[in-house]
Amino acid sequence: MWRTTMKSLAAHKRRLLATCSAVLLGVAFLAGMLVLGDTLTDGFGRMFTEANSGTDVVVRSSVEVGEGDFTERGTIDRALVDEIAAVDGVESVAASIVGHGRIVGADGDPVGGNGPPTYAGNWITDDDLNPYDLAEGRAPAAPGEVVIDKAAAKAGDLEVGDTTIVRTPEPVEVTIVGLATFGEADSQGPITWAAFTDEFAEEVVLRQPGQVTSIVVGAEEGVGQEELARRIDAVLPEGVESLTGAELTEEQEDALQKDFLGFLRTFMLVFAGIALVVATFSIYNTFSILVAQRTRESALLRAVGASRGQVLRSVALEALVVGLVASAGGIALGIGLATGLLSLMEGMSMAVPGTPLAVGADTVAVAAAVGVLVTLLASIAPAVRASRVAPLAALRDVAVDRSGTSRARAVGGALAGAAGVALVVAGATGRDIGLAGIGALVTLVGVVTLGPVLARPAAGALGAPLAARSLSGALARRNAMRNPRRTAGTAAALMIGVAVVSLFTVVAASVKRSVEETVDEQFAGDLVVATDGWGVGGLPVEMAGAIAELPEVDTVVAAANAPVRLDGEDDVAAAVDVESLTGLFDLEVAEGSLDAVGDDGLAVSERYAEDNGLALGDVLQVELADGSAHRMEVRAVYGNDDLLGGLLLPRGLYLDHAPQPADLVVMVRLADDVTEAEGEAAVQAVADRFGAPDVQTDEEYAEAVGGQVDQLLTVVYAMLALAILIALMGIANTLSLSIHERTRELGLLRAVGQTRRQLRAMVRGEAVTVALFGTLCGLGLGLFLGWAMVEALADEGFTSFALPTGQLAVIVGLGAVVGVLAALRPARRAARLDVLEAIATD
Amino acid sequence: MAVRAEAVTKVYGKGETAVRALDEVDLAIPAGRFTAVMGPSGSGKSTLMHVLAGLDTVTSGRVWLGDVDLASLPERELTRLRRDRIGFVFQAFNLLPTLSAAENITLPLDLAGRKPDRDWLDHVIDTVGLRPRLKHRPTELSGGQQQRVAVARALASRPEVIFADEPTGNLDSRSGAEVLGLMRRAVDEWGQTIVMVTHDPGAAAHADAVVFLADGRIVDHMSEPTAERVLERMKRFGS
Repeated sequence: MWRTTMKSLAAHKRRLLATCSAVLLGVAFLAGMLVLGDTLTDGFGRMFTEANSGTDVVVRSSVEVGEGDFTERGTIDRALVDEIAAVDGVESVAASIVGHGRIVGADGDPVGGNGPPTYAGNWITDDDLNPYDLAEGRAPAAPGEVVIDKAAAKAGDLEVGDTTIVRTPEPVEVTIVGLATFGEADSQGPITWAAFTDEFAEEVVLRQPGQVTSIVVGAEEGVGQEELARRIDAVLPEGVESLTGAELTEEQEDALQKDFLGFLRTFMLVFAGIALVVATFSIYNTFSILVAQRTRESALLRAVGASRGQVLRSVALEALVVGLVASAGGIALGIGLATGLLSLMEGMSMAVPGTPLAVGADTVAVAAAVGVLVTLLASIAPAVRASRVAPLAALRDVAVDRSGTSRARAVGGALAGAAGVALVVAGATGRDIGLAGIGALVTLVGVVTLGPVLARPAAGALGAPLAARSLSGALARRNAMRNPRRTAGTAAALMIGVAVVSLFTVVAASVKRSVEETVDEQFAGDLVVATDGWGVGGLPVEMAGAIAELPEVDTVVAAANAPVRLDGEDDVAAAVDVESLTGLFDLEVAEGSLDAVGDDGLAVSERYAEDNGLALGDVLQVELADGSAHRMEVRAVYGNDDLLGGLLLPRGLYLDHAPQPADLVVMVRLADDVTEAEGEAAVQAVADRFGAPDVQTDEEYAEAVGGQVDQLLTVVYAMLALAILIALMGIANTLSLSIHERTRELGLLRAVGQTRRQLRAMVRGEAVTVALFGTLCGLGLGLFLGWAMVEALADEGFTSFALPTGQLAVIVGLGAVVGVLAALRPARRAARLDVLEAIATD
Repeated sequence: MAVRAEAVTKVYGKGETAVRALDEVDLAIPAGRFTAVMGPSGSGKSTLMHVLAGLDTVTSGRVWLGDVDLASLPERELTRLRRDRIGFVFQAFNLLPTLSAAENITLPLDLAGRKPDRDWLDHVIDTVGLRPRLKHRPTELSGGQQQRVAVARALASRPEVIFADEPTGNLDSRSGAEVLGLMRRAVDEWGQTIVMVTHDPGAAAHADAVVFLADGRIVDHMSEPTAERVLERMKRFGS
């Protein structure tokens, strides 16, 4: 059978290629994502290793509070430097200050900051301990002198001798005296770096006299990192810890892995998964058709003595070869994809430039295994069907396919569909996203099972407008109806793609609507100044006060994200002037009073209180980044936690104890007799002084937040385009095979007078009908699941469900376009068919 | 004359492998007559039919349908000509499986976007005796019924000529006789011109005249054929 299978494959290279394409794209995506993930990990690993290469031991505060993206570590006393220097085995020691600092480029815009950190700190004069090397100019020697990394200089069009601003976040006027490289590279990956003198960094970055971020230590020859760390531990006071350079590298890698890379990887693998599911349907369909077309061949094999097992193995073997060939191609394409994405990410400073591509053996193995397995899995059912062909079928004409419309299928599919829908609805109304997810899977199974039952009436209905227009349209409609299982299988691939697209569209629209409503309802202020970029760095804390002094302004509320530890639990609070909130918006205080919060009180939302078992009057221990602990009483419980979250902390406390305090947002209410334009101009003037971004009205702010959603959605769409592309190729492939199968029919049509144009229209009509069937099913499924997701997550900030009709109409239009595109090649080939050959085919 | 061939030559392939399927064939098919084309396998009879029907191009020579030279027509015009002026009955797979018998009958008319002449259509349908089967799909019809649908389709547009390629080749003798009888009636009652390619002397006997083809040339004519005479003539090819 091996030789028969190989001969059959070789005889149909084109068909093989077409079958491969779906697997190939799916595998390419998977392999590409794996390679990209590995390469990024490698790059950042190298970067951290390099950064810590001269450092054997790091001494830092052991206090770290907050959670997620918002954590803060305390500072330590500079005096420790001398004590550590005296420890036996210490070769070199230096204080290190690192905080936020955005370098403003020559054009006035800050460099970087779209995710990766922007750091400012001190220039460590000891070459071994400083991972940066001077490439040009000199080290900073006086206040206001700065060394920046070469990449930032290039990006910001800055040179030695230029003066500019570094926002820490207070604008600091600086003169660039030197440019630094990071090892061989122009920068530490995507991180920008501005280094001042020790004293100046203390003054403008940390702004706490005598405090530093950490102390870096180099060991004497022959003293191991761990040994040295042990010796240093002996002189460290409480609340200060030491760790080796190796440990620090590991910690940094882990953090990045958990945060940025982990998210990226999950994100990309989800899309690879979607692409592969769509590919599975395409492959299943292709094999089904191939097997159906070869019924006679299989029967002949059976008639001359091949066992069922041999026929089964023959199909499985073909699938294996297809899987292997496609996986190999997919891996190659995936590596190309990763290369392209990597340079794209380097351009967006999200990757470490110059990292060689990491193509691990595990990546190759996983991608190949998935590719082969998916192909085999998709070919099982068709293979079994092939093996069931009776030998006598060789002698009969192949009957019209009536399969796919059995009662058992209709009942089973309907039951599964109903159960799935019930689960989804239960999950949605019960605010249980997990249950809704399981329901979604069951629904999908139901819909896919029902597909062949639905295909005939659906294709009939969708094709009706075509059929009314011309005979070609009528024939197209009949062709789409004639083989329900094939139509359903082809449409299923597109259905899944479209379902995911519409799901994201609906969810994104609901997010935007929810944001707009939240802002509308909660935002009683007139203007807002918000951090641009990703919220790191923040706004100068003095700015709020300066704005408050304007005569045009009535109330100003500044809010910062304050990482805290509350009774031992890490959390993030909003640090605000609690009393002033009343003048801006209604927190719906249920118990206590905001005025009572004072300097040593907290305000919590009802939900937060419930989740954490708190009540008015409870006294909690609040620890801040500098290690200070405060006894604070819950003095107000409020209902509305949409804008500021569930935990409010006095702003003064945060300002006093955060290592580098900065505001996240400043909200302004103008005086009664001031117009918005006047107020905006006045506030903008102050904001400009602090180098803060644009002042926005509440509408602009809501729009800006919505814009971020749109940006993310664009990326999602780009990823999903691949799934749609695979579905498109699936339709084209099915169509090609169907046309091949109907060669004689087409020949007859041409003989009795169908023009090429009519023939193309017929093929196109069929494709559009099938594509619309898939699109509409997908749209329905996507809308339903989108609604369920929004409902299930109602407690997480989804206040309302939005139906973006315009976008959804575009999706339906795209579905039709997919049909037209898919039909292009098959239609052209069908039209080129030689009439004589077609009617002579047997 | 309904159809004329003037010095038609058809060569397949090039150089040493070239096959001369038709060699300087001159032929005139009279209008309103039933002409059979006979010949042993490989004699070129199917090629002749394809060329006359505008399904294939000639290497040299001319083919006239009425006053139109088929060789001068572009593909699109040729397709239209087939649709509007020629009827076809093939040996098998004559019908579209997705269409009902009635829809198959009006297929060329529908392709042209022409309204069928209802009275004529009814007349044809009654003549071929398919009235009770009009809504059936081809798979629900017997082989003989399928061929009768094909004949009805060919007649429906009242073409200048109908080409039938072994129309009874796949049928039992009774069904075959029915189909041949139908074609005979069409010629006798409506003056339809029919050209039939066959290798069955019994079928050829239904025609008004028989043209014999061998090695791409016309080698004989026979008027008023009978099965015996045709068989006799055919036997001489074998020797």
